[in-house]
Amino acid sequence: MTVREAARVTLVVALFVTVQQTLMLDLRLGPVHPDIMILLPVVAGLVGGPGSGASMGFGAGLVADLFLPTPFGLSALVGCIIGFTVGITTLALDRTAGWLPPVAAFGASALYEVIYAVLGSVLGQPQMIHVDLTQVVLVVSVVNAVLALPALRLVGWALPAASIEGVPTSTVSSGTLR
Amino acid sequence: MATPRRSRRPRTTLLILVLASVTIITLDARGGFHRITSGLRTVAADAFSPVRSGVDDVVEPVGSFLAGAVHYGAVRQQNQKLQAEIDQLRAERTAQVDTEQRLQQLSALAHLPFVGNLETVPAEVTNYGTSDFAATVDISVGRDDGVQLNMPVVGMGGLVGQVVQANHSTSTVRLITDGQSQVGVRFGPGANSLAVISGHGPGKPLSAGLVPTNTPLPPGTTFITSGLPNAEFPGDIPVATVTSSSNGATASQESVNLEPLADLSHLRYVSVLLYGPSS
Repeated sequence: MTVREAARVTLVVALFVTVQQTLMLDLRLGPVHPDIMILLPVVAGLVGGPGSGASMGFGAGLVADLFLPTPFGLSALVGCIIGFTVGITTLALDRTAGWLPPVAAFGASALYEVIYAVLGSVLGQPQMIHVDLTQVVLVVSVVNAVLALPALRLVGWALPAASIEGVPTSTVSSGTLR
Repeated sequence: MATPRRSRRPRTTLLILVLASVTIITLDARGGFHRITSGLRTVAADAFSPVRSGVDDVVEPVGSFLAGAVHYGAVRQQNQKLQAEIDQLRAERTAQVDTEQRLQQLSALAHLPFVGNLETVPAEVTNYGTSDFAATVDISVGRDDGVQLNMPVVGMGGLVGQVVQANHSTSTVRLITDGQSQVGVRFGPGANSLAVISGHGPGKPLSAGLVPTNTPLPPGTTFITSGLPNAEFPGDIPVATVTSSSNGATASQESVNLEPLADLSHLRYVSVLLYGPSS
């Protein structure tokens, strides 16, 4: 990653955290507010593959943890797992398909919240498993699905072009991967 | 013919990042490193405080404008002759009522009977928590105003929570409904019986532990802070009232559900008690 790309990624993460800490905290549906920081590893996984997804999940997660009362590092842990998972599970798919980002954002956000709650509970925060997880998952997943395409454009602008990391070389040479 | 070969680099990256995350979580759970992360959180909160205020200043008028437009449309359907000036007058009247309510709440906060002679710092609730997994609120005062970690926070009705993050100009308060919250309390005739009230998350009832079975606890019984030596809360602050009680799952304890006396879902202003266990 070049200095220019690193600066762009920093800018995008700063934009996301600003929107999250201002507009999204005021946008409450019942006791739940959206969490767009999850979108970063998801779309990074789509744009750059599993390695980029994991790295973005870790970095953006650490930044998100600065503003959360939950254990420091938990968002980074779940973020890198989710980013990697999205990258690896969508390798074989047509990443230019319009339906993929919203569907991936919806599914990955739901998975993120469940893992986050379970791991938090294991790490000495038992109340995290007792929240209305269905409501949290629904609100976060739906909002992230709606915002997936603009997020993809932003992260696509910041990250290097689609990576071929983790793909069988025979597949790459045959030109089936976009 | 090319041999299928899958790069291991992303997996190695993931493994390193997972190990790094687990290390950070583990170190944060222990003393020394937590001070560093707490300091970083303070810096982040202080840096974002003016950004939040700025965005709120921009967004609120837009929201008010849209709300006013919707309101105007509804009124026009009811009465075609209603003029925009009347809308404006109503808006001003609403603002005036709002201001009066704020004044009343602040005035009431300044004279809470259970606070006694303790010094207080009034604060506005600026955010209802940054996580969906914890019951916290952000308030508009911080270390510059004398607020320190673990100081009690009260509101109209009783105990609200405890300061868990004190930044320069803002603080985070863990509400008594949070799953990590525990408050030592007294109850019963003469307020001689001791118990511990625990939170179970936003919107969920509180529970009281250490209450012996067959203790008469009619609904409405008030629990107040115990004020024992070295307790984190001063004594005699109303905390919660009993909503139901029954023989618990264990033979020695009553199962008691309570609701907070302070209206935690509509907090607007609170008071931080400048109190520590050594006070």
